[in-house]
Amino acid sequence: MIQLIAFLFVGLLLFSSVFFLMRRNPRPEGRSGALVEARQALNALQAGLLPPELIERIFAKEDLEYVMGEAPPNIQTLFLEERKKTALCWVNQVRRQILSLKRFHLGSARFYARLSLKTEIELAMDFAVLLAACRALQVVMYVGGPYAAPKMVDSTAAAAARVCRISEASLDFLNPAHLSTLNGPSAGAARL
Amino acid sequence: MDVQQAAEDLRKRTLSDIPRSLDRLIYLASMRDYNTGLYYHDGLASRFTQEVACEALADCHREAFRQLVGCSLQGLVGQMKAYMDSTHTSPSEFLTTWTRLEPYRVAVPVETDALSVQFLFSSFRIALAILGARLVPQRGEPGA
Repeated sequence: MIQLIAFLFVGLLLFSSVFFLMRRNPRPEGRSGALVEARQALNALQAGLLPPELIERIFAKEDLEYVMGEAPPNIQTLFLEERKKTALCWVNQVRRQILSLKRFHLGSARFYARLSLKTEIELAMDFAVLLAACRALQVVMYVGGPYAAPKMVDSTAAAAARVCRISEASLDFLNPAHLSTLNGPSAGAARL
Repeated sequence: MDVQQAAEDLRKRTLSDIPRSLDRLIYLASMRDYNTGLYYHDGLASRFTQEVACEALADCHREAFRQLVGCSLQGLVGQMKAYMDSTHTSPSEFLTTWTRLEPYRVAVPVETDALSVQFLFSSFRIALAILGARLVPQRGEPGA
């Protein structure tokens, strides 16, 4: 009976090991897909969502003051609706791209980047705080409009930029300069 | 390097006569073939090459787009009013056409991020509504 339990225990252990190994998706094409996805997320954040001048424009108080001072009530309503749509779209996209980067860090980053344990823990905290902040911002903007939490917008953008910097370091080897070095004859010979 | 020189040439010879970024955006979009997405400018192509001219026009188009996205709403309303006046169309006709057809949708350069495009279109809609509201009292005035 004890032997049977021991065999079952070992079998269960082996089965769970195989299951977790399969979930890690060790196939090269799976990893390259994760890399491409992470690189795209990083580009979308850095070039499209986090430039300070764009954030400044979306949440510009001067536009609000101009419309409130110059336009009739129906246009004031239109303005607030339009800006709310854009602001919610911004925070939704930031959240989506951050989730994509988080997936990359959880699944693949350790294969490519040698992050210290301290950096990994800090990054995990950053992701958790950032995703919670995005959710909170979505709720605040949905209820109170685009101008309800300007400081929260600034802090979310700053936290997202910090996560991007760390992710960029993890994906640095994909930069064209590094790739050309890797593709160069000396590098090729060295690898062979 | 050639592309930069060509873009500088374009700015000096042509775009300096078009001071507003909205006008530049529309002008540069009109230099693009709808079917291929390539830009054509005979003068620039004769001084450089067709490929270089195309790249330079695309660069300047993106630059005009960025400038317009960075423009305040008040600035955009001013630019749209000035553009409307320069077309010599009646303001009501212009505003009706721009509101219904949304011609600015085809004036966006390729490879621009979706959020900037969405933001600019949204600002255009608000600016058109503001100009339309300014027009209403004029329509009601006697003899207008």
